[in-house]
Amino acid sequence: MNWEQYKIPAAVVFLAILPAVFFQEGATYISRIFTIFIMFATLALALDVAFGQTDQLLLFTGGIVGIGTYTTVDLAASLGVSLWATILIGGLFAGVVGAVVCYVAARRQLNVIVISILTISLQLAMVQTFNALRDITGGNTGMEVPALTAEAITSTMGWEPLTFLYYLFLLLLTALMVVHHYLTNSKYGLAFDMIRQDEVSAASTGVAVVRYKAFAGFVATFFMGLVGPLYVQIGGYATPGMFQFATIDVLVLIILVVGGMRTIYGPIVGAALIVYVNEALQAAQEFRTMVFGAMLIVLFLYFRNGIVRYARDLAVDRFDLGDRLPG
Amino acid sequence: MAVGARLLIGLLIDGISSGLILAMLGLGITLVFGLGGVLNLAIGVFSLLGILITIEVTGIVSNVLVAAVVAFLAAGVVGLVVDRSLLSLVYKSEGEERTLIGIFATLGLSFFLEGVLILRYPDVYSVPAEIELLRVAGILIRGSSLVSIAITVVIFALLYLFFERTYVGQATRTVMQDEIGATLCGIDTRQLRTLVFVLSAMVAAIAGMLYSFTGEVGVASAFQLTINAVIVSVVGGVTSIAGTVVAGLALGIITTYASAFVGAYFAAIALFAVAIVVLLVRPGQISS
Repeated sequence: MNWEQYKIPAAVVFLAILPAVFFQEGATYISRIFTIFIMFATLALALDVAFGQTDQLLLFTGGIVGIGTYTTVDLAASLGVSLWATILIGGLFAGVVGAVVCYVAARRQLNVIVISILTISLQLAMVQTFNALRDITGGNTGMEVPALTAEAITSTMGWEPLTFLYYLFLLLLTALMVVHHYLTNSKYGLAFDMIRQDEVSAASTGVAVVRYKAFAGFVATFFMGLVGPLYVQIGGYATPGMFQFATIDVLVLIILVVGGMRTIYGPIVGAALIVYVNEALQAAQEFRTMVFGAMLIVLFLYFRNGIVRYARDLAVDRFDLGDRLPG
Repeated sequence: MAVGARLLIGLLIDGISSGLILAMLGLGITLVFGLGGVLNLAIGVFSLLGILITIEVTGIVSNVLVAAVVAFLAAGVVGLVVDRSLLSLVYKSEGEERTLIGIFATLGLSFFLEGVLILRYPDVYSVPAEIELLRVAGILIRGSSLVSIAITVVIFALLYLFFERTYVGQATRTVMQDEIGATLCGIDTRQLRTLVFVLSAMVAAIAGMLYSFTGEVGVASAFQLTINAVIVSVVGGVTSIAGTVVAGLALGIITTYASAFVGAYFAAIALFAVAIVVLLVRPGQISS
């Protein structure tokens, strides 16, 4: 039996039944946690396309999510239409920003370290810009965001707003999983592998390195941009502080590394674990930064291959399940 | 003299003072990166430690100067512990991978220490030194800016003498230029890295104390200080000591004028914009 082709459907079915099992009417606390979980899984898988596949360590996830959000919300407000009409434009604009950054970085042959410093500078500049542009973002105090609803669906299914939002995220995550799967199992995946292993020899065998890196950057930031308008639905408002490095990027990085890079399940497993730890620490909120800091150290020093790869290696070693297990 | 000119001169002095402080922080990044390829993203925490320890010790001995010296030494001890434990693990890997692990290990350290510190210090703090405004030829000057300039100039002079005149200082510069050559000459690079990291932690502690003269500093400011330090170091050429000092001065003056005339947000944006342009125009210096 070929597990490979059931990998994504299995994950989608599993994620789709979670609300039926865990969500309770009126208990927005639980549905909020699950929504945050699936959001971070999506962001981590999006980052994997850039970082995992092509070694471009983009540290401006928060800023890109913000760009997607503000483009979608402000465009909808100025045109007087609903967010549905502008959400794709927001995603595309975020994707273009990401593609331009990756294109320039690849043209200038910046290595992974320079890209990380460049994008963290951009991240901080973006949040400061959000703070400064009061007319567009509401400045420090933020702004309310109109709801993203579909009355027809929610009323037939009897969903609460957060349940609907969860399924919207699942739709986005499914699309991303399909794109991720297609990319890694096509000529793109081959090119990404070559670029990651040796950029110079990839270029010398005719791989258009700059184009592939820019494309990977576009896909990653396009999906991050689409996450934005959904992310701000959770609270119904948007403040520049919600797009900070410490709020978004640190968690996304930990999730991607703890779950495992270059896997489809990695971000889901990682997000589940980290969001759980985050909630477990809710009672001891003041220890949160401390614990995540320690995790970042330990993970990068000892555990850079992630849970999914670790489990797979273990299964392959002990039970010889190599060709039967999904990647 | 016109009022405008007086204001500009007053701001210039503030700018030089903040520029020299930035240069001290940037130098900490530059030296550690130049010697071992580790970008120390926890440097802002050492600045914060400098301020907090000074405040705590002032409470005991009621003399700010003594407290500052204690804090200076204590920052060095913390630096030594970090170098011997965390950085020893980081130095096990090589080349680009070491830099990457270094980024995350020190970023994690920064978050970890911030998390520990915020338990006890949730507020914003500054070193309890009361220095008055001066009026020289009708120009209002912050006394604290003059004090910072004096202290930083002395420290830079000492660092200059260290790097130019002492064997250890010259050995450090040799390693930054050619590590293999230096090793062949019998220089113990690991010991030098320890020494320079401890030195950078102590300099960062002083920079923190001086920084808190002009604005109160909380745990959340630590990361901001780190980023400023990285930007100064990057703009100055990452492994060039002189370049870092010039970059610190230039950025300090630019951001002081920018925040006086167009607002604090735009001053920060200007700082990042300079860093981004320099990274794109001259990326070669970090990748080597």
